[in-house]
Amino acid sequence: MAEAAAQPGWLPYAAVVAGTAALTALMRVPELGMDPVNAALIYLFPILIGAVYGGRGPAVAAAGAGILAFDFFFVPPVLSFTVADLRYLVSFAVYLAVALLTSELAGRLKRQVRQAVTQQRQTAILYDISRSMSDVADVESLVRTFRAGIGSLTGEETVFYLPGKDGRLVRYGADPAAAPDVEEERMRRIVESVARQEAGDAGSIRILDGATLLLPLTAEEESLGVLLLRGDPQQAGAWPADRTRCEAMAGLAAGALARIRRGEEARLAQVTAESERLRAALLDSVSHELRTPLAEMIGSSSALLESGALFGEEERRELLVSIRGGALRMNRLVANLLGMVRLESGLLRLRRDWVGTDELVGAALRQLKEARGERAVELRLGDPAPLLRGDPVLLEQMLVNLIGNAVKYSPDGSRIVIAAEEREGFVRIAVRDEGIGIPEADRERIFQKFYRSGNAASVTGTGLGLSIAKAVAELHGGSIAAGPGDGGIGAVMTVELPAAATDQTGGGEHDE
Amino acid sequence: MTNKAGGARILLIEDEPQIRKLLRMTLQAHGYEVQESVTGEDGLLQAAAGHPDLVLLDLGLPDGPGLDVLKRLREWSPMPVIVLTAKDGEEDKIEALDSGADDYVTKPFGTGELVARIRVALRHAAGGPAAEPVLRFGRLTVDLAQRIVELSGERVKLTPTEYDLLKALAQHAGKVMTQKQLLRQVWGPGHVESEGHYLRVYVGHLRKKLEDNAADPLYIATEPGIGYRFLTGERES
Repeated sequence: MAEAAAQPGWLPYAAVVAGTAALTALMRVPELGMDPVNAALIYLFPILIGAVYGGRGPAVAAAGAGILAFDFFFVPPVLSFTVADLRYLVSFAVYLAVALLTSELAGRLKRQVRQAVTQQRQTAILYDISRSMSDVADVESLVRTFRAGIGSLTGEETVFYLPGKDGRLVRYGADPAAAPDVEEERMRRIVESVARQEAGDAGSIRILDGATLLLPLTAEEESLGVLLLRGDPQQAGAWPADRTRCEAMAGLAAGALARIRRGEEARLAQVTAESERLRAALLDSVSHELRTPLAEMIGSSSALLESGALFGEEERRELLVSIRGGALRMNRLVANLLGMVRLESGLLRLRRDWVGTDELVGAALRQLKEARGERAVELRLGDPAPLLRGDPVLLEQMLVNLIGNAVKYSPDGSRIVIAAEEREGFVRIAVRDEGIGIPEADRERIFQKFYRSGNAASVTGTGLGLSIAKAVAELHGGSIAAGPGDGGIGAVMTVELPAAATDQTGGGEHDE
Repeated sequence: MTNKAGGARILLIEDEPQIRKLLRMTLQAHGYEVQESVTGEDGLLQAAAGHPDLVLLDLGLPDGPGLDVLKRLREWSPMPVIVLTAKDGEEDKIEALDSGADDYVTKPFGTGELVARIRVALRHAAGGPAAEPVLRFGRLTVDLAQRIVELSGERVKLTPTEYDLLKALAQHAGKVMTQKQLLRQVWGPGHVESEGHYLRVYVGHLRKKLEDNAADPLYIATEPGIGYRFLTGERES
């Protein structure tokens, strides 16, 4: 009883004596006509109460007080301590026996309750630890969670010894000052010898000194490291009894470690597979995309060199134009490849400049001047054209890719409409063509790296342009979507970017 | 203008032999005298000894950043410098321009573009903007003495800031101007790049008054991420 501890030590004694006195007074009321047999039984009450609430001392005190009161008031001759009938001595012995026995039973019960409460708390903390273990994704947070949990559970110091990259054991979770009072080298040798032992070998727990315990961490027949527990040296003797708990904790830690390791392995495998797939796709697409313009350039230039005299002025010029066209295509390809690498490397620093959609569209169209051919480009950019805040070079590349696609997949002489409008805080830029269009099933997938729609197979391409455009739009907090063109002919690419948050008139107060 | 440029001496600081060869052939075909240098150190020595009329400087030199060469050159010489850069080096371009480069050409470039830049840089170095009181660009006339702007003979009404901006651009016609340079020239040295928004807005006003099609400008071209370039006012074929 926690409250009992706060009370003065004499209080239970006083209480049982007072209780006995009160009972005596009550039973002496003549109307009750209490006979000695009843009185003897009633005097057991204070003894029982004293035993349950006060323990052995108060119980014995109650027994003493009961014997005296019974003897004095009820045992003939009444009002004297003389005992005429020796049978009453048996009653006295019963009083004492009851006092001792019940106090012992009550004490044992109380100890059991206390133990159960402690165990429940330990179980709750262990459960807490095990639950938070399932969230940890790296060794550092595992060690942190575990140490905090064990610390609040038993106050024990925990240290993990886990193999590092070079196979040597690395200590986690304790500064060297807090480590056991064993020399570093010897400690290491002991830890390593524990770590080497077979899984499931119960004898592998090592008690270093009275308070320090080493437990191997094993999962799936594999040694993952060693857990060191260091308790209060005063309670050194408690270790063997606590063995089950220690092993349970070691099992918990080993399970979490194994899970972390499996997670890392799975992640690595996934990354490797993904980069393998991308590398294959890149190689496939780039080698084709590079070869086409190279063939064009090599063929045209060698024709000029080897048999230039056979060609007329007009034909020579045509060959030169195709050399330049191939080179420009390769240049765009290289720009996209570099752009992809830069976007993916995470090294990219996004610049934030004010830039008008008209300027961006103009710059993109200048880049595509030659590729554009006889396609009629219609601009509906608004007046003033919406303003964006972003990286001009990336946004230009995004537009070059979108308009370049519109050019690439539509016949010469068709119409391309580029529209921009600002609505509800977003600038929407739409590039519309009258080309081959995009099948509905592909409208999401065409933004994946290296994915090319089936109906685009006849036109060369890397499958990079749209994924770059998407990455750029998303980098600016926007989005991109593909849809069918007007009347189901061709395609429309729509980019939505957050509008520059400022008034368009800007600084009018400087003039007029 | 070809005759004006003819005979000018150009120092070429470039480490890649193929590009050097191409540039040498092109420049010589256009009547320039070409000096060549493979490293920045040697280039600086040649610039000091030979006093070229213009320097073509590759920013990606093997013996250190071309930007350092530019800065060291600028310590003692105002000779025009055009830098050759890679496409994705916007920061380098801006830094080079703000460190005193007259213009830039992005690799890969067409030789026509390069020669045009060289002509503009040589012209600005030789003449100086104050020499001509009336600037003419196709249908556009800017009378610097009277602050009058005319388009096809009709007076264009400009606010003082718009006029100052047009003047700054027109005086450096053909040459790229960074946002910083324009802000400093029009609004004074206290203004910083964060006010690029104002610049954008005034360029927009100017375009509205001067251009038919802002996406395909005749006069004020945007160099995304860098600044603006005043064009000649005539359609390139």
